[in-house]
Amino acid sequence: MAEDKFDRGTALTVFPSDRHEDFMALVISLAIALLVYLLI
Amino acid sequence: MVYTRKTAWPLVIGLVMIAYAYSVQTGALADLIKYLGTARLTDEMRVLGYTFGAIGVVAGLWQLLAPPKDEGNADYFLSMVGGVVFIMLVAFVVKWGLDPLMAQWGRAAQPGLGFNFASVMNLNYVVMGIIAGIVIVNVFRVPGWAENGVRLSRLGLKTGVILLGALYSLAELAQLGRLSVVLIGVFVLGSVGVVLWLGARRSMPNSMTGVLSAGVGVCGVSAAVAAAPVVRAKSIEIAYTIGTILLFGVICMFVFPIIGKAMGMGYIQFGAWAGTGILNSAQVAGAALAFQPNGIETLKVAEIFNITRVLFLPIIVLWLAVWYVRREAGAQQVDLVQVVVGKFPVFVLGFILMFALSSTGIFAPAQHYQGAYFDNSDKAMTSKDKDGKPVSRLLNDKDLAALQAEAGKVQRQDQKTALQRLMENRKVMSIDDDDTLRGVVNAKIMNKAASDVLVKAHRAVRHTAKKIAMFRDLIAWFFTFGLVGLGMQITMSSIRQAGGQPLVVGSLVGVFKAVGSLIVVWLLVAETV
Repeated sequence: MAEDKFDRGTALTVFPSDRHEDFMALVISLAIALLVYLLI
Repeated sequence: MVYTRKTAWPLVIGLVMIAYAYSVQTGALADLIKYLGTARLTDEMRVLGYTFGAIGVVAGLWQLLAPPKDEGNADYFLSMVGGVVFIMLVAFVVKWGLDPLMAQWGRAAQPGLGFNFASVMNLNYVVMGIIAGIVIVNVFRVPGWAENGVRLSRLGLKTGVILLGALYSLAELAQLGRLSVVLIGVFVLGSVGVVLWLGARRSMPNSMTGVLSAGVGVCGVSAAVAAAPVVRAKSIEIAYTIGTILLFGVICMFVFPIIGKAMGMGYIQFGAWAGTGILNSAQVAGAALAFQPNGIETLKVAEIFNITRVLFLPIIVLWLAVWYVRREAGAQQVDLVQVVVGKFPVFVLGFILMFALSSTGIFAPAQHYQGAYFDNSDKAMTSKDKDGKPVSRLLNDKDLAALQAEAGKVQRQDQKTALQRLMENRKVMSIDDDDTLRGVVNAKIMNKAASDVLVKAHRAVRHTAKKIAMFRDLIAWFFTFGLVGLGMQITMSSIRQAGGQPLVVGSLVGVFKAVGSLIVVWLLVAETV
């Protein structure tokens, strides 16, 4: 997939930067951890 | 640009997923599920099938009937759904089809081959996910309507890495023997350091060097996957690292027992060497069992060393994160603190946070390893039947009679003592007793009835924390999603571009580690640890 196929994000991610992607992964993980802690 | 394509495919995939989940629910696929041995996965088949099926149907209908005509967030986010359901469809096939099928074939071929090829070659969802992605992009191609969603695969991988922290605990590390910590520490840190040094000498990209160092130094495939986003490794670099580790590990698995026997090594020496020198967990176990097929002592030592190595993962991830940021800053005269603050991968902190949370014992008893722990308390020795009535898991009179009849066959003093304690208390009294009695089962000393009683006693005191089991399932799905998507970014031209350097460096360091650990173990490790 070429880099210029997308005008938002990069060839590897839909996010504007790695840090955005990291924070999103962190938010998802913490939400999952909370749900596992409360529900399981 | 407008990303959303007018296509019926997400809708079709959604309907297929719902049909599959419905077939599982109604029992229409019972024969197939029984053949593959995936009955324990039927709940997740239903939940994930309906969930992603519904997402595919809703987004697919929107995409087909009223696709956004202008640029904007609605267009951008809607266009990702196609890729997500496409990857999940492939992931379903890998996880519920290919993975158990290979396991089945591996077991079936074991008597003829003498080993389980699926286990030896590590043909699990991690490896097959990435292969499936490579096949799709090179033999067919990623459809245009799925391309935007495929770019979410790295997010899946990072989320999986953060959750991976929950599987380890500091308490487990504290329990390990000092020898294994020192030996493993030297070789893990040494191997990582040598790969980083060699990679720089041979002008390999930092990302390639970083992911290879974790793979060769720590614990093979899962370490490579965990380190990949830390050093922003390209998909092809992950594939190369996994290929190197697996190839090297398979060779070691066959060669190590031959050398060990030729040198007249004892159980502890060989276990320490295999646990330190072989790169991948499955192959460590394979080599230990090949060395001592009729007992468990070698396996036990090798596993202790193996676990120690895996527990170094958080340290290596942190080291690589700092190393990569510094290397990328390169020769430029920049403030290191500023660069680290600006570039340090936040998800690594998430991984450490999850490791810290797990160490507090909020997800499982603090002394767990990947959710497994020993507990023979009265509460743990009571379960409930299907009507909710409490049932004791202590051995009954019939069990004791079966053991009593065969007890005379046990000759080793430690095994006799452990067996005696089991019969007196009707339950296994310690982790050591449990390990010793597993050795009795493995060596087939007693008849089947008595061995079954020992297995029953073992199961009664070994527990898996439900929360950690849930984490493990989720991690497996995030990794499968991420690796299938990453595989879809590995084209033949990118393989040619990467060249053979990683194989050379990985093999060099692998040999260094195997030979170095052999010398150290041979000289320093006595028969008692």
